[in-house]
Amino acid sequence: MKALTVAIAAVAALILGLVLGALLLGNETEPGDQSAEAGFARDMSVHHAQAVELAFIVRDRTDDPEVRAMAYDIINTQRAQIGMFSGWLQQWELPQTSVRPPMEWTDHGHSDAMMTSYDDMPGMASDADLQKLRDASGREAEILFLQLMIEHHKGGVEMAEAVLPLTEREEVTYLADTIVAGQQAEIATMEDMLAARNAL
Amino acid sequence: MPSDGGIEGVQTYGDLARDHTTDDVDYPQSPPVGGDHDPKWMDCTGTVYEQPLRNENAVHSMEHGAVWVTYTDAVSQTDIDALAAKIDGQPYSFMSPYPGQDSPIVLTAWGVQLGVDSAGDPRIDEFLTTYRAGPQTPEPGATCESGLMG
Repeated sequence: MKALTVAIAAVAALILGLVLGALLLGNETEPGDQSAEAGFARDMSVHHAQAVELAFIVRDRTDDPEVRAMAYDIINTQRAQIGMFSGWLQQWELPQTSVRPPMEWTDHGHSDAMMTSYDDMPGMASDADLQKLRDASGREAEILFLQLMIEHHKGGVEMAEAVLPLTEREEVTYLADTIVAGQQAEIATMEDMLAARNAL
Repeated sequence: MPSDGGIEGVQTYGDLARDHTTDDVDYPQSPPVGGDHDPKWMDCTGTVYEQPLRNENAVHSMEHGAVWVTYTDAVSQTDIDALAAKIDGQPYSFMSPYPGQDSPIVLTAWGVQLGVDSAGDPRIDEFLTTYRAGPQTPEPGATCESGLMG
């Protein structure tokens, strides 16, 4: 009788352990709707989409091969990365967008000021900036594009650096690391391009 | 047929055509929920339009995954402002007046539509979350940038 009780207790403990383990593992493998990973994927998609738009505009506004090549590179890289963010959210079975405030994931609710507009994310150009770029051409458009994109990249680096301490997901840390390194390298290149135009 | 997302009152429509045409299109729903459309889409990067839009351009934005929020002149300015605050600057979203629609406020995405009476209806957030770049999108990965600006 005592042996049976011990056996039942052992089985019960084993089942409890399995259930708890599955719960913990489940949390690790599936980022939730308000996780840093999901917030980063959604907000960075919006951030990248504006970089793509800026780059498309300048390709219509100048013939300079160097600036057009930089814009071409940004369009393809960031558009592909938007697809990766979207793919993560699909894999995690989460909605592509959220009605919660932008950048909320960076402070986990400890912030005093809640951001309301995506236009307030780091480095985002304003609607007026975009219009100014559409109205410019030649050297003026090149300089404005480089200035806006350097600020945009600095913001992108800031956002990628913000997610790194908040996640252990390999697909997220991998891409965030490449965004930090890649955009920093492009900032240096674009600063050289500004200097060559006596505009740094 | 797209899913109603478990949201009460959502109407769903299947078998929608999606060819490009510069002609006017006679849509059976008002606002339209899909169908043939203009080659140019409306900018839908959280864009709040003050004037009614051309259906044929708005339908193209929904093919790209956008939710279109429309309202009649029966809606109070307070509610219009509340709706604009939900849409302004938000991805895959746009908003415009739509005189003559059946409900004061209508939310439409490709093949799905919901009419509500007030900006405080909690189903608005559910609809936005479910359908912005949601599973009903005929062209996943398409963009809301660089569209017509009204």
